[in-house]
Amino acid sequence: MSMQRIIVVMLLFFLSEGTIFYWLLPDSLTGRVVPHFILAFVLFAAIYRNRHTALILGLSFGLLQDLAFYGKIIGVHSFTMALVGYTTGLLMERRRSTMLMAMSMIVMSTLVYDTVVYFIYSVFKLTHGTFEWALLHHILPSLFLQIGFSLALYVPIRRWFESSGKKKSDEEEE
Amino acid sequence: MFNWMRNKRMFVLMIVFILFVAVLGFSISDRKKLSWPENFIMDSTGFLQELIYRPAGYILGLFGDLANLQEVYKENEQLRITAAAYARDKINYNQIEQKNIELMEALEFTERQKGSNKYKYLIAQVVSSSTDPYNPTIRINLGSKDGIRTNMVVVTTKGLVGLISRVDPFYSSVMPITELDVRSPDSKGIAATVLKEGAAQEEQESFGIIDSYDKDTGMLMMSKIAESDKLKKGDTIITSGRGNVFPYGMVIGTVENRQVGDFGLTHTATIEPAADFEKLTNVFVVQMPNMEENEQ
Repeated sequence: MSMQRIIVVMLLFFLSEGTIFYWLLPDSLTGRVVPHFILAFVLFAAIYRNRHTALILGLSFGLLQDLAFYGKIIGVHSFTMALVGYTTGLLMERRRSTMLMAMSMIVMSTLVYDTVVYFIYSVFKLTHGTFEWALLHHILPSLFLQIGFSLALYVPIRRWFESSGKKKSDEEEE
Repeated sequence: MFNWMRNKRMFVLMIVFILFVAVLGFSISDRKKLSWPENFIMDSTGFLQELIYRPAGYILGLFGDLANLQEVYKENEQLRITAAAYARDKINYNQIEQKNIELMEALEFTERQKGSNKYKYLIAQVVSSSTDPYNPTIRINLGSKDGIRTNMVVVTTKGLVGLISRVDPFYSSVMPITELDVRSPDSKGIAATVLKEGAAQEEQESFGIIDSYDKDTGMLMMSKIAESDKLKKGDTIITSGRGNVFPYGMVIGTVENRQVGDFGLTHTATIEPAADFEKLTNVFVVQMPNMEENEQ
């Protein structure tokens, strides 16, 4: 699957986050279970392609998310997603990535992502809850969704990224 | 160890970091106009989200309705009773309105005074809703081309929902009143008063400012209430319209309890919001008549 197709799929998932997913979620869970579908794609790109793809995908889709729901501030998701994508790519560069490895990496990176987002918002005084509150209120519940989502789409996404990256990655290795 | 390649990378990283901090700091401010790339992205995503949100809402809302059919039936019953009451009140209202106009003529009201309570309700469809817990923006399908400006009030049939925070040509962002916070850099307070049957706008006695929301209890906080104020539990709180920024008479909620404020000089009250903030489909943007004149 080519990169263009992956981007189209990511766009569809991005659009579903604020619309279909929002309607599927029961009222009591909105604001608590936060979908990170795009982040999952970025992390898969970091693990199964390279860190530069993850950086660019994270930067652009983060910016898209920032702008599409612009209410308070622009750049939080863009910055964090690019940062987390790049670091994950850097850590996983020289390692054989098994499924367990990829999953634990996704869990870690999602936690780091949510933590960084929380701290940016609190530095700019846009949120006043304590970190423990944020952790229990939405970071941990949304982690379960993230695990479920990445497990469900593990096989197809891995295949897409690996098949489209083979030709290029040989050249980049040198 | 640090060759020039590494140093260059470091340098680029620092530049990008500084750039991001600048963008973050800049975007936080109260901007009246957005730049064209922002407008373009916001409008195009708004358009695509609109295509998905409504059908999803219809289908999933239908399942929800089927699940509690009994309640829908009860709701229907209630609506019928309200409709009957409405028909009766309408006749009464028409008479009173006619009389009011005659009296205004007799007292030589200026055009501005006459029109000051004539609000236009623009109906808007919700296009998408952010799932970010720190930024629960709701997007609606009316923009600056439809006369929407920042700080306009957004209501549903139940009550006040939020304020317009950002406007682009065809869509705009709504900040729900659950995001009100005195401590935030862009904090806003809504002047509020108690709804009294048969009292005119000028005769309102109670006064307070709705300025924050408690996320744990789900209650709005109304502060700066005078000690001698007659506000009590169970009162309906509406916007007071003072300051001519927000319109008069939008229902905010009911008073849950009242206590002495932080410094003991004024009182604060907790208010249960009247409107639902989840799964909205249609909202109204309230356009004030003198707002347009101020813009021009």
